[in-house]
Amino acid sequence: MLRLFATIKKEFLILIRDRSGLAILFIMPVALVTLMALIQDAPFRDYQELKIPLVLLNQDKGELGEQISTGLVTSKIFEVTKFSGTNEQLRKQVANGEFEIGIVIPEKSSANLNEKVRFFVNETLVSMGMIDSSQLKKTITDEDLPVVVYFAPDIKKSFKNSVLSSIRQVASKLESQTLLISFKKELGADEQTKDSTEKAFGDFITFKEEKSVDQHKTNLELNSVQHNVPAWTMFGMFFIVITLAGSMIKEREDGSYLRILTMPGNYLTVMAGKTITYLSVCLIQCLLMLMVGIILLPLLGLPQLVIGNNVLAIAFVAICCGLAATGYGVLVGTIFNTHQQSATFGAVSVVILAALGGIWVPVYVMPDAIRVLAEFSPLYWGLNAFQNLFLNNGNFTNVLTYTNKLLIFFVFTIGIALISNKFKNN
Amino acid sequence: MTHGTAIEVQHLKKIYKGALHPAVNDISFSVKSGEIYGLLGPNGAGKTTTISILCGLLKQNSGEVSICGLTHENSNNAIKQMISIVPQDIALYPTLTAVENLEYIGNMYGLKGVALKQKIAECLEIFGLTENKNKQIGKYSGGMKRRINLIAGILHQPNILFLDEPTVGVDVHSRNIITKFLKKINSEGTTIIYTSHLMEEAQNLCTRIAIIDHGVIIASGEPTVLIQQYGCSNLEELFLKLTGRNLRD
Repeated sequence: MLRLFATIKKEFLILIRDRSGLAILFIMPVALVTLMALIQDAPFRDYQELKIPLVLLNQDKGELGEQISTGLVTSKIFEVTKFSGTNEQLRKQVANGEFEIGIVIPEKSSANLNEKVRFFVNETLVSMGMIDSSQLKKTITDEDLPVVVYFAPDIKKSFKNSVLSSIRQVASKLESQTLLISFKKELGADEQTKDSTEKAFGDFITFKEEKSVDQHKTNLELNSVQHNVPAWTMFGMFFIVITLAGSMIKEREDGSYLRILTMPGNYLTVMAGKTITYLSVCLIQCLLMLMVGIILLPLLGLPQLVIGNNVLAIAFVAICCGLAATGYGVLVGTIFNTHQQSATFGAVSVVILAALGGIWVPVYVMPDAIRVLAEFSPLYWGLNAFQNLFLNNGNFTNVLTYTNKLLIFFVFTIGIALISNKFKNN
Repeated sequence: MTHGTAIEVQHLKKIYKGALHPAVNDISFSVKSGEIYGLLGPNGAGKTTTISILCGLLKQNSGEVSICGLTHENSNNAIKQMISIVPQDIALYPTLTAVENLEYIGNMYGLKGVALKQKIAECLEIFGLTENKNKQIGKYSGGMKRRINLIAGILHQPNILFLDEPTVGVDVHSRNIITKFLKKINSEGTTIIYTSHLMEEAQNLCTRIAIIDHGVIIASGEPTVLIQQYGCSNLEELFLKLTGRNLRD
């Protein structure tokens, strides 16, 4: 135990006197999480609460224009500005980036719709022999009067689909409503028909959004803070690879490693001392990052990080992540011979593992092949475990799959490091 | 001074992977307890390889090594407790102070508490480092680093001390303190295995020497006897006579 405590104390003293190492370990992850949470706040809101600026030119004097306008306003996706200029002026405003989307409802669109519906109804009634064919008179041309939608060049496909879907929904409802009213009218219903039909015509099929987790659990939506804090915590933890591997290589270069090998006792004790020290650093990092999410980010106008109620499970996940990161650092420090090699490989490999693990963008938006690779990234396991606890208020059982993988990764990396070390010494 | 055998080496051979020639080729020698035994030779002669095998850092391809009657294969930990190496590099942590470095090394040998603190204070006093004991050793001068490197090696009072060029690059004062101290601990019973390129120092310090070249011992015995035997005036002349005057890398 004396050797173990001596090693921990020595590693700790070396660490706290290494200013650049401390900056990598603590300042960089805090800066990263703060910046990334701020930068990604808008893209995350795109899908949730951010309203897209939309300009609407309603040249129609009838119901179609009115209904589309109302539908867009009530959809809560768009911030609608009504426009009174020309079609060309509106197009230019969208092209200049003043608005993301522009919609033009052409003149007489409602009349055109009504006429088309009336003709369709009469045609049906004639075919059924309910009215005389002399009444079947087409007063409109076959010319379509399409609703024109302009999109800014940088608009996302998902937004395009949202807009088109909203307009189609409104138009479809209006078509059905008009059709029904027209049928009633032709069949001799009284003047109140229109009002009663509008009232009765609702959503016959309704949708209800339900939480996918158990009733007693919270089910937060993923926002910039909920994604970035655990994500960059994982990244920061794994960045200890550079400091840890560097310290091991320095020890070999200055000869102190050889001195250690000539000392009594097992080298495993020295490794354990290093692991405990760097694991403690990871845990401090994790705590610091969570504090950033809970205290600092709300001060910057971002949502507060919600960490759920299972503090012990969070601590367990943090320990597993810390062990995985430390094991990886020991492996890199053992395999490589120079500080430059280990720093370059360590940094690049952590960035790759982070990209695969969904640190920058969530894994579900990645291509299928990359999603398969993500399953092999320890950062993915850690991030998923944290998000399970934070977003779904999960418990130990919910994160065991990920923590087991992290612990196996730790044992695997330390094992390879020990074998490699033995080969090198021989 | 005792006269048992501290180190026994029989037909030691070491060839590194991919090397054309053995680094150490069938060498045999023994060191008595209480001796200062010099392993001298040009660069690449096989001195460091021999010391590394004796300390258990490398495994030989063939031959036998025993330290105080024990072998690394059977009693590695016991041997490690009895020996110590003072490497040519300053194998200490530059951002730690002298006291922190020595406390760490003392703890690794099982020393602790007041006894360790007293031993550290005593050694620092002997080597004139008390005033700088709380200074990070990265800020020490070359001579101070050599002295603290030596203290790290003798802190646990080893039976056998391996010194790999302990006075290289140090000023006259530091060298004087170091050699005096080595003689002192030797007189108290510590066996010393010593390598150096400083022939005058080796002649002055060693009770016996072995000159190694190309992995083979080409001469061994008491320095004065060898000098007379080869008709030389000093050890340096003998060394050049036996190893040649060509440059070595």
